[in-house]
Amino acid sequence: MGDWLLLKWLLWISLYLMLGVLVPWATSLAWAHQHGCDLRPRPRQLFQRGELGLVGLILGISVIWDLLQSQYMVHTRALGSVLLAVSGIMAGAVWVESYCRHSTGTACSHERVWRDSRRLAFLVFSMAAVIEILLDRSARVAVR
Amino acid sequence: MSAPAPALAKAQRRIVTVRLADAGVTIAYLSVAFGLLLAFFPVWFPRIIVNTWQKGDLMLAMMVFTLSLDACLYIRVAYLQSAKPTVLAAMCLGSLPILVVAGLSFLLQGVVAHTISGDLPNLLARIGEEVLAHTYLGLVSAVFLPFLVIRLLQQLKASKFRSRN
Repeated sequence: MGDWLLLKWLLWISLYLMLGVLVPWATSLAWAHQHGCDLRPRPRQLFQRGELGLVGLILGISVIWDLLQSQYMVHTRALGSVLLAVSGIMAGAVWVESYCRHSTGTACSHERVWRDSRRLAFLVFSMAAVIEILLDRSARVAVR
Repeated sequence: MSAPAPALAKAQRRIVTVRLADAGVTIAYLSVAFGLLLAFFPVWFPRIIVNTWQKGDLMLAMMVFTLSLDACLYIRVAYLQSAKPTVLAAMCLGSLPILVVAGLSFLLQGVVAHTISGDLPNLLARIGEEVLAHTYLGLVSAVFLPFLVIRLLQQLKASKFRSRN
């Protein structure tokens, strides 16, 4: 039972990693190939303006939606949603701040933006994974 | 002849600037550990949490754990930045995890009372799931919120300083 649960969550994680990180990276390589450019961006260069934070925010929204439709009591749903929303907003704010700094010509460290967005996206991602595991358990208890 | 001002000025250490990403990565590792325990030990791990809650020790254990984690994290950030911890941050880190865990324990009591009054099937298992969810959310809140408050206070202080100059 435990093994199947782990496999299921590995599949879920791979889906988000593929659609959120690998597909944009592969698309950039395909674009470079199509236009005959010598462009080989690494994920770090592709997401250097904090776009991973935006991926984290979108992931957070989808898990909040799942949580709101769950069998948990309203207090638990509210608490989980607020925590996910705060983490998602923090992750998204890295991208917004980077955009504002670039637009106004204020000093901006790509290194710091990349590090913060990566860490906060990891936070949202791990929280989302645990909440999805809890939702799965709760749904099984409700139908038993 | 007087010495130049910078030489006379007492060497001051910077104040610790907490970034949410630092706290975020710690919570992420905590979440990964919680998730792996749930995935590998789906019966044993929740049972331990529910038994601890039934004995009345869960909130105390959470307070001790989150206080220690917050303190370690803050000291690590201070060490990495070679910066001076502040009284305000120490107050936040000392009080907020306890307040958050205590508040959530009241919320959990409310949730359990609500679940029992709902006359739902499979009551014990449902209460167990609520306790499990509150334990996880409580851990995350008690580690994350103090750093969020410190960060907001630091930004408020910085913006006041900027507007004054």
